[in-house]
Amino acid sequence: MQIDIRNLSFAYGHKTVINGLSHSINSGDYVVIRGKNGTGKSTLIKCLLGINSVKNGMIFLDDTDINAYKHWTKFGYVSQDFDDFNYEFPLTVEELLKFSSVKKGTQHNYLKLLDQMGILEILNQNINSLSGGQLQRVFIVRAMLNNPEVLILDEPTASIDKQNTEFFYKTIDEFNKEGITIILITHTDSIEYINYTHTLTLNLDLTSVIDVKPPVEGDDAL
Amino acid sequence: MMLSFLSDLFTLDFMLRAFIAGIILGILAPLIGSIVVVRRLSFIADTLGHFSLVGISVSLFLSTLGISIFFERPLYLGIAFSIVGGFLIELFRRSYKNYKEISMVIVISLGSALSAIFFSLSKKTGSLYNYLFGSILTITDYYLILIIIIAIIVIALFVIFWKQILSVSFDETTAKFLGINVGLFQMMFMILLSIVVSVLLESAGVLLISSMMIIPVAAAMRIGLSFKSTLILSIVFSELSVFFGLWVAYSVKIPSGAAIVSVNILILIIIAVIKKTVQRRNIAKLDSLQR
Repeated sequence: MQIDIRNLSFAYGHKTVINGLSHSINSGDYVVIRGKNGTGKSTLIKCLLGINSVKNGMIFLDDTDINAYKHWTKFGYVSQDFDDFNYEFPLTVEELLKFSSVKKGTQHNYLKLLDQMGILEILNQNINSLSGGQLQRVFIVRAMLNNPEVLILDEPTASIDKQNTEFFYKTIDEFNKEGITIILITHTDSIEYINYTHTLTLNLDLTSVIDVKPPVEGDDAL
Repeated sequence: MMLSFLSDLFTLDFMLRAFIAGIILGILAPLIGSIVVVRRLSFIADTLGHFSLVGISVSLFLSTLGISIFFERPLYLGIAFSIVGGFLIELFRRSYKNYKEISMVIVISLGSALSAIFFSLSKKTGSLYNYLFGSILTITDYYLILIIIIAIIVIALFVIFWKQILSVSFDETTAKFLGINVGLFQMMFMILLSIVVSVLLESAGVLLISSMMIIPVAAAMRIGLSFKSTLILSIVFSELSVFFGLWVAYSVKIPSGAAIVSVNILILIIIAVIKKTVQRRNIAKLDSLQR
């Protein structure tokens, strides 16, 4: 999946949060989007996912204008704090993953993915009884059900402990090595644990900086 | 008292019709209600009910003008207006993105005002009482057949599209990435909800529609361990309410909708007390083990 952002601007009312951003993400990249609160990281992600409609500037997904793009199953998305999900109503992990397996041929993916994420034993547990780390892994499994080409994660380690954070980055590395493009937002993590290809830092003065990770001998992620 | 009720239930036609209709609505109301609760839209049924009432009042008004095609079947305009109400909610929701509940207040106010105007113009305000509090004991054969057809359609759509309906309800944002046409399923659910609300209007009454849809689900949520078990429990509670509500309504001659909802509330209280007691016992057991 080739993602091209061209001269993108976005404002909430009169408050501009993204101003003339241009950037390209190639298939298999591991991009870390950084920046302080209010620099437009989540806004950028929502533009890339078609949640915020793009009116100023353009985004092309595999050379298709995002406003005409239809193949959204190529994207997996885990939102910040899972705030869009109603996890207070009784629901087991298996029920969630069963009804999320809408696309043909994905019905049995979830057992393999739960095993890969090390949480197969919570299959019959109620969603609202899970810890932050377990819940996050469940949502990553849901995002991976359709074998997406791009996995987008908004502040994925904000509410989990250090042990789970390390496990999380290890798993995301594995997905990236399988060829999945990773776009990850972070504002607090030190990124030395992440095998990124480049970072895109958004600043409060609406500028951005692209920092390509220099190749390191023996680093097979690069 | 119960024996004479049971005997009348199977010998009197109107009682049997009411019982069958109640059993079917006892499945439909919590089935739709569980989705309404998941979507955090508990107030929507009341809103649509008020707009459905506009359709009923317009039917009565048209009959005073000599247009009597809807007089015997006011439910059709009730359903049509309920669907219009659903679309108005969506329309206003877009204008007040951060204050979504405002859209329902606007629509419910408009619905109440228009109903009052048309009922008054029709000079048939006597029937208003039935539509406010419901009259399942007076339903006709025709209406019963309509309920059965609607129930078959609603349940079939739920069985076929349960994955899409639950995905969109639990997480609207992410459903798009699972390959679901979110707008289409939102519209489908709104139409189904409008139809069920209009059907409930006749039996439960506009003031009690959301109670029949929401309270059994609220009780089941307290003890349900999964979506499936919560749904089954809510249907069981709903059916118990229909049976005992009809018995009370028949025995002491009170509106059936009010009696059914009162039993619903009683079940909710019993469940809440039992849960609290079990929780206290468990805490006490843990305390004694720790000592």
